[in-house]
Amino acid sequence: MWSLLTPLLYLAIFTFIFSNAFPDVENYPLYALTGLIFWNFYSNATTTAINSVINSRGVLKSIKVETIALPISEVATSIINLLFSFIPFGILMVLFDASIGFETLLIFIVILLFSLFTLGIGLFVCAFNVYFRDVGLLYTSLTPALFYFTPIAYSTSLVPGQFQLLIKLNPLYHFMDIFRTILYYNEVPSLQSWGIITGITAVFFGAGILVFKKLEKGFISNY
Amino acid sequence: MEETITNREVIIEAKDLSVGFLVTKHGINNFKDFLLTMGIKKLFENKEVLNDFNLKIYKGECFGIMGRNGSGKSTFLRAISGIMKPNKGTLSVNGKVAPMMALGVGLEPELTGLENIKLLGTLMGLTQKEIKDSLNAIIEFSELNDYDINSQVKRYSQGMLARLAFSITVAKDPEILIVDEALTVGDLGFKQKCAKRIEEIRKNGSTIIYVSHHLEDIRSICKRACFIKDGKVLKVGPIEEISDLYELEMAKKKGK
Repeated sequence: MWSLLTPLLYLAIFTFIFSNAFPDVENYPLYALTGLIFWNFYSNATTTAINSVINSRGVLKSIKVETIALPISEVATSIINLLFSFIPFGILMVLFDASIGFETLLIFIVILLFSLFTLGIGLFVCAFNVYFRDVGLLYTSLTPALFYFTPIAYSTSLVPGQFQLLIKLNPLYHFMDIFRTILYYNEVPSLQSWGIITGITAVFFGAGILVFKKLEKGFISNY
Repeated sequence: MEETITNREVIIEAKDLSVGFLVTKHGINNFKDFLLTMGIKKLFENKEVLNDFNLKIYKGECFGIMGRNGSGKSTFLRAISGIMKPNKGTLSVNGKVAPMMALGVGLEPELTGLENIKLLGTLMGLTQKEIKDSLNAIIEFSELNDYDINSQVKRYSQGMLARLAFSITVAKDPEILIVDEALTVGDLGFKQKCAKRIEEIRKNGSTIIYVSHHLEDIRSICKRACFIKDGKVLKVGPIEEISDLYELEMAKKKGK
């Protein structure tokens, strides 16, 4: 319930401050909302996943549990929250004149890929966080920077040409792009977009699982 | 006597077992220090806690483990549970292990006692049906009344926590039950009840591994025991001999 408050507050703030600053973004509230929903999911899922293993170290010391199940269940919880949040956000989007069509259903495929990508990041940081407790703090500190590095409150067309490449190096950019293509522009994403996010997901998810499995053996020494 | 023991079925056997921890070599335990000391290659090194550890535990016995703090008791128990992997040697465990957890571990403070029974039961590997079937027995054994069982666990006293946790662990006869210093906080009545239940579980064919520093407790529950010192089994034998050795070792330390 309260998890909806953060994105709504951001939405109110952004709409209030930025809608005049970025006049060339048509229907600014909808633009910001389509980004914020998924950012909210990403930030909640990674934060809880990263601390999941540390928080259960008492149990993990005494019972044999598949450790990887803890971060996975945290991400799963966030997915469920995301799906439920579609009810109020869906109403809000309709109020902001969003049109819902057949292509809207494609969003669920993107969510699946985005969840795996998020899980990959969560597993990766979670595993390092067991060895070095400041890794989680570092991640938390860097999250706001990542937020503003990702085009959520602003449009990429406003970014000066020399930085365009830099912004595309951010994997989250590509997900935001495809979410907006579907929900804001009501278009079917190009094959190239699908290819990019599938590739990103494969790399991050694969790396996350591998690193977690590799580092898992030493967890018990670091609880 | 020895003859009868060797004829019995071995449930846990450790042969030249070595189990170790990773310890930081240069005291680097955060990422900041790691970045500042990029030149150092090897961050962790292995420190063996158990070394050439040999022990046989037979099916259906109540086996005591004694030893000073840090001698490797808990590490051995974790190896049995499968939480820590052997570096060398072999460890065969022929049964499902149910650990008695340290006080309050695994209980979620914000949930009620009833909800925690379901949570901890699931963690212990019970099915939903098994939990449902044994729910009344668990509540009855824990001696928590209707009001307490529906209160949040964070409002429980230490003794109540221990009672609840013990009741859940022994709900279903486990094949191997590990009791690691878990019963020290309960009151006398509950302690006796626990000892009775442990004996009952043993009679039903389970194996019990009991770790305690309380000589009276361990004497009343176990028949056989071992004394662990510096990661090795110093002696295995009848509980009287081992507890005498334990007292002797303690006296030695004092004398130094």
